[in-house]
Amino acid sequence: MRRITLIVTAVVVVLFIISWIIKTNTVPEDGTFRPFIQGFLVTFAAFLTLAIMSFLYRDNPFYKFAEHLYVGVSAAYAMSLGFWTTLVGNLFPRISQNLSDWFGVPFLHYEWHFVIPPILGIILLMRLSPKGGWISRWALAFIVGTTAGLNLPRFLRSDFIEQISSTFLPLLVQWQGVGPFFSNFSLAASGQFIAILTNITIFLGVLCGLIYFFFSKEHKGVFGTASRFGIWVLMVTFGASFGYTVMGRISLLVGRLTFLLKDWLGIIS
Amino acid sequence: MTAKTILFILVAVLLAPLVMAQEEAVPDSTVGVIPPAPPLNFRAFDTPYDNGHSISLEWELSADDGQGRNNVLGYRVMRAESPDGPFVERGIVTSGGTSYNDSGVKESDSPDYFPRDHDFYYKIVATTADGSEAESEVFGPVRAVGQWFNARKWPVLIAVGLFTAFTLAFITLARRGKDLYVRPLAGIEAVDEAIGRATEMGKPILYVMGLGTAADIATIASFTILSRVAKKVAEYQTSLIVPCYDPIVMTVAQETVKASYYDAGRPDAYDDKDVFFLTNQQFAYVGGVNGIMIRQKPATNFYLGKFYAESLILAETGATTGSIQISGTDEVTQIPFFVVACDYTLIGEELYAASAYLGREPVLLGTLKAQDWGKACVIISIILGVLFAIFGWQDGVDAFRPGN
Amino acid sequence: MKREIPLMIVFVAGLFMAVQFFVPHATSEYIYEFVMEWTIIIGIFALALGIWSFIKVAASKIQRRSENWQYSIVALAGLAGMIIFALPWFGGLESYMFRSFFNNVMIPLHATMFSLLAFFIASAAFRAFRAHSALATVLLLSALIVMLRFNPYMGPLGDIDADIASWILNVPNLAAKRAIIIGIGLGIVATALKVILGIERTYMGKD
Repeated sequence: MRRITLIVTAVVVVLFIISWIIKTNTVPEDGTFRPFIQGFLVTFAAFLTLAIMSFLYRDNPFYKFAEHLYVGVSAAYAMSLGFWTTLVGNLFPRISQNLSDWFGVPFLHYEWHFVIPPILGIILLMRLSPKGGWISRWALAFIVGTTAGLNLPRFLRSDFIEQISSTFLPLLVQWQGVGPFFSNFSLAASGQFIAILTNITIFLGVLCGLIYFFFSKEHKGVFGTASRFGIWVLMVTFGASFGYTVMGRISLLVGRLTFLLKDWLGIIS
Repeated sequence: MTAKTILFILVAVLLAPLVMAQEEAVPDSTVGVIPPAPPLNFRAFDTPYDNGHSISLEWELSADDGQGRNNVLGYRVMRAESPDGPFVERGIVTSGGTSYNDSGVKESDSPDYFPRDHDFYYKIVATTADGSEAESEVFGPVRAVGQWFNARKWPVLIAVGLFTAFTLAFITLARRGKDLYVRPLAGIEAVDEAIGRATEMGKPILYVMGLGTAADIATIASFTILSRVAKKVAEYQTSLIVPCYDPIVMTVAQETVKASYYDAGRPDAYDDKDVFFLTNQQFAYVGGVNGIMIRQKPATNFYLGKFYAESLILAETGATTGSIQISGTDEVTQIPFFVVACDYTLIGEELYAASAYLGREPVLLGTLKAQDWGKACVIISIILGVLFAIFGWQDGVDAFRPGN
Repeated sequence: MKREIPLMIVFVAGLFMAVQFFVPHATSEYIYEFVMEWTIIIGIFALALGIWSFIKVAASKIQRRSENWQYSIVALAGLAGMIIFALPWFGGLESYMFRSFFNNVMIPLHATMFSLLAFFIASAAFRAFRAHSALATVLLLSALIVMLRFNPYMGPLGDIDADIASWILNVPNLAAKRAIIIGIGLGIVATALKVILGIERTYMGKD
């Protein structure tokens, strides 16, 4: 097994070097090391792509390498972006002239309320202290409390009231005497039969779906039947969502294959 | 008067018509152009239920807008700080329009700043293609003022009040010892079995809390379930792996698991390297969790919290390793993937109910009852609303539409 | 006191933000904006805790020579490299190396992981096709109808399928999602209320 691993690794390294040389030569010379680095980076990106795809076969050293590199680089990316953009770019210029000068960013103007979040942030960092860790709950409490308060009325409006009011549909659509009574199955159909069927389905679907989610009542009798209809409607929905997403996911794969065949190998134009 | 003077006057009188004719020969652009009728009943008022940086204007159409001479192109909204001007154009409304909101931002250093508590005077000017205009009367002074309560949101306020009342009432009833029935949930009943299976196989349990922050309600619900799972894990002496996406979630998860181990009487068994931060980039996190699943082969995987497109990758990878998978999320778009790929799925609200099921504490069961009453109110409201819609009572339908 | 003060903070902060929703005045808007900015800033400090945990776990694996400990070195090297490239002395966030790592490591890896969904959705579908119950059959049929709606090889059947798929997506799909969303809304509100009232306090751990 070790021998196979060594052979495969050697082949991969050789192919990597060949690709590096070829890609370096495709980048125009500008007297710097840029084409050399650019050739390396494009090759590296392609090999990382193949390394991730190799996961579909089985776990292997290339996938492990790519995965660990990705985790490390992404964690640092978030930290760097957060520190330099938010703290140095936005916070320090609003709380301290000295800090702004030290980091070489222009001081804006003092805003006293911006002193509070770094205090809470430092309180949160007290978590690392064995004795002072209890105070970090204050910062946690602030974050959890504010978001709970934010969510309460907003979700009540968007996920509750607006959903209810959207279901106020006339079950018996007024016969207009024009247009076909029967028509195609789209929601924009002008046929009254389809409009009535649609409205009744939505009405019953919402009602029975809600009944399915009742926790404190046994699902028996009429209640049980309604609940059963509800779960059937839910299953139809889940199947539809699943089917709807398939094409979108395939197109992601097409995108990646395009990178490999066009940008890296140059097989397609 | 000399003869020369008389002669001069005579020549001037004879030549004057010629000069005047020449002056009149210069084309006068206003000759033959009749200005349009002015807009009527113009009024300006403070925009209601706003932050105090907007004034609303309403008027009636000019008699030549869409009728009469039908030559009105639009209306210019003019504003000044005194009734005599100078007036500055604030906006243009095309013909047929009868209202305008003059607004701006609240930051005083912004070029788009709209001052609050400041008197303004407005007029509306109807314009035509040939440049003729007609002005309304000047209206003012009017000032923008911020309101302290948005009365358009009263349906939400009523809903908050009702729901809080239900919750407190049922909590009180539950505390008095009233027995509250809850129907069985397959996903919850499987938790003990799943933990037992991991113990028998000597394999760890993987608990993934998703991509939410500590402030997401789904994540808070997941913490509660984690505390129950961790307590059982501590009692059975199985190992637990909790890779975290958000550092604050990691902090809270560490507190939660440590407390559960303490409650189970095994504080020494807790290792904070079991609850760790991985990364906060979506697919890097998935890659890392996949690696854990493939290499450490947990017997049971829990996916409880907020998930997005990565949900299927996690669930499918877990399925290939033969783990029992229990999932729950409030992301409606991801529920189908969990339903297809996992053994048990808590759909939407069931995730929030899980903590009550696992702990069976009266207070939590009481809030579950309140949620059911909330659903009952919804059903009644929908039936009422549909009846309103059938019989054409639009006011009843509109009562449920909260404004912004 | 160690528990009472955080519970008080949660109650006051929660109540304040809930009331803020109903107050349109500019002062209320300012407070909302401040709180949102504060949460982001606190999150950056929290990230330091996360990075510390990451380093601790990786270092522990290397020290104990656990299985696959060599890859922890790769992870730490990636972490260190990216932090160094972001320093102003190396050009900062706009530097060639930082942007190159982003464009040639993070983006391809992100896109490739995302593209794996195509394979996983196929494997999930194959497993789901072995329908063992009536409910699973309904799910399967619904998925098939929607999946085949743009299939050019189905002829006249394709038009009928597209119509049915369109109706499924616009009608029962809408109804069920609405029921789920209403339930979720109630669940969120109930949990938020429990947090604000101090009934739900697992997140605070133990003394």
